Amino acid sequence: MRILRFFIIRILLKRWILVLGMIILLFLANYLSFTTARSVISTFQGYQEIETLNQEGTFIANLDPNSEADFTKIEIDDTQKVYEYLNNNYTYALQVDGFVTSLHNKHKMEVPFNYINEEAYKINQFRLSQGNQLNFNYKFNKEEIPVLVGAGLATTYPVGSNFEITDPVTQQLVNLKVQGVLKENTHRSNFYAPNSKNYFNFSIFLPVNEEFIQSAGLDLHVNGLMDIVLLDSSKEKAMNLKEHIQENLGLEFNFFNQQENFNYFEDYYVNSLKIICTITFILLIIIVCLAIWNTLVSIRLMIKDFTINLLVGLSYSKLRVIFYSYFGILFSIILAILFAITAFNRYGFWLNKDSTFATYGIFGLISMDWMALLIVLFIDFIIGFTIVELTIRKIKSIPISVGVLQ
Amino acid sequence: MNSIIKLEIQKKTFKKKGFSILNDFDLEVEPGERLSIIGESGVGKTSLLNIIGLLDTQYQGSYKLFDSSVKDLSRNKLAEWRNQKIGFVLQESSLINSLTIEDNIKLPLMYAKTEKDLTVQDHFKRITNKIGIEPILKKKPLDCSGGQRSRAVFARAVIMNPQIILSDEPTASLDLENKEKIINLLFDMNKEFNTTVITVTHDLDLANRHERIITLERNE
Repeated sequence: MRILRFFIIRILLKRWILVLGMIILLFLANYLSFTTARSVISTFQGYQEIETLNQEGTFIANLDPNSEADFTKIEIDDTQKVYEYLNNNYTYALQVDGFVTSLHNKHKMEVPFNYINEEAYKINQFRLSQGNQLNFNYKFNKEEIPVLVGAGLATTYPVGSNFEITDPVTQQLVNLKVQGVLKENTHRSNFYAPNSKNYFNFSIFLPVNEEFIQSAGLDLHVNGLMDIVLLDSSKEKAMNLKEHIQENLGLEFNFFNQQENFNYFEDYYVNSLKIICTITFILLIIIVCLAIWNTLVSIRLMIKDFTINLLVGLSYSKLRVIFYSYFGILFSIILAILFAITAFNRYGFWLNKDSTFATYGIFGLISMDWMALLIVLFIDFIIGFTIVELTIRKIKSIPISVGVLQ
Repeated sequence: MNSIIKLEIQKKTFKKKGFSILNDFDLEVEPGERLSIIGESGVGKTSLLNIIGLLDTQYQGSYKLFDSSVKDLSRNKLAEWRNQKIGFVLQESSLINSLTIEDNIKLPLMYAKTEKDLTVQDHFKRITNKIGIEPILKKKPLDCSGGQRSRAVFARAVIMNPQIILSDEPTASLDLENKEKIINLLFDMNKEFNTTVITVTHDLDLANRHERIITLERNE
């Protein structure tokens, strides 16, 4: 320990600019690995969730990005016709979120409403920490509506409690009864951007039945169609719906089946991930090369100091331990910085009252953050091993000689 | 008397440079002997010092130090012996400039983990007092004169009370007064502790003040 402290404080830090350069390089390597690892993990997590939908007979709606949609011309009667047609001919999953309302809660977060029908609810199989699953057989406007609340609302609105609120889509005063509490960090990944997630820690899950849909406004109807999922269907039936929507609403929808979705994922996401990973790998190699160059420059500048130490009792094995400890300390500092940045970012969502991204976790970090940090740690081991072994090899290649000092 | 150094070198080859030195070179040194090695540049004086000082083990031949075959010693053992049994008296530039003179002198004590040992502290005081460098202990090498730095190098070499002192051109950049001081310190050490002194030098005057002179010649 004494020798390590001596080397760090009295030898290495005397060339602080090189140490700073090394810290910056290693931080870049860590940050790059971290963001890439997290992006890959998040995408695959999202893909696994979406895969449950990606089955034979399933068609996911997607507004054609090339169509010219004029939402101002859409009337409620038109959308009601579409839903009537849907209800009569299809089994479909509907889940719409993004309807934010103000509701008192101890974290002072805005509360998003999440409207979900029975089929979507069955597919997602949200896990509860308390209470019971939703039931969809309530009489809208006649009896209280059973809802699920996010973990962040559980203390203000415990299971069994009732509260009244103006529903954002029907604009009617509704009486909601808390049926259950969603597990912390319950989330949903975007169908076409699996690395993008909405967290439901402050959401209210409101069960949607046909009666509710008929009472809902245009916003829910149109938004609901955007991500609607046809179940146990066929390409022909999907095309019929496509035509029906086009006739009534003037919107051009695509309905992708299992294979098309898989191809889309392969073409777009897997390729993007491959490119990101390749670029990260190349940048990592460049950064590691720069870090090695930095080390070799340091050695050249400090060779006299190393030689003197080797003359008076330092051995290569001690030197190796010193270098491993030194890089261990550097990596620990950098990981701590990375951890602090991530925690601060996560905490930032709470500070900004951003309820769709506010998450629960130790120091605010969620599982994908920890996994990414673990991957970074593994990469650090490889980088550290490479740099230290090359450094020792370089020092050994310069013969210790009293001649170096003359 | 038993030799403490028994060296039988067949040759020391520099593969990259494509030549060899110290061909069929034998050397035996007894405890307390004062030996100087002279010869023109490039004949292998410093290389010989590196071999004797356990810095270089890449040569053909055998070397017994204190009756142990050096090639059988681990790298850690070699480092330990360099720390405890051998002192290097080099030119005045061989100090770490970022450390104070005191820290430079105490460097071997750190590796021996005896810095806080009271007898070692007494020894340190005695040596720095004898060498006359107490006033500069807190100074950095670049703030000292060449003579002061040479004495600091000497102090570092003897702080562990080594059995062998290897010196390489110890007086090369010194004026006459400082040169005398260093030579006297070397020989006092030899007399007082029966320390073996091996000096590599170009200076014939210095070489002549040793008991034995070895002249290295270029291999044909």
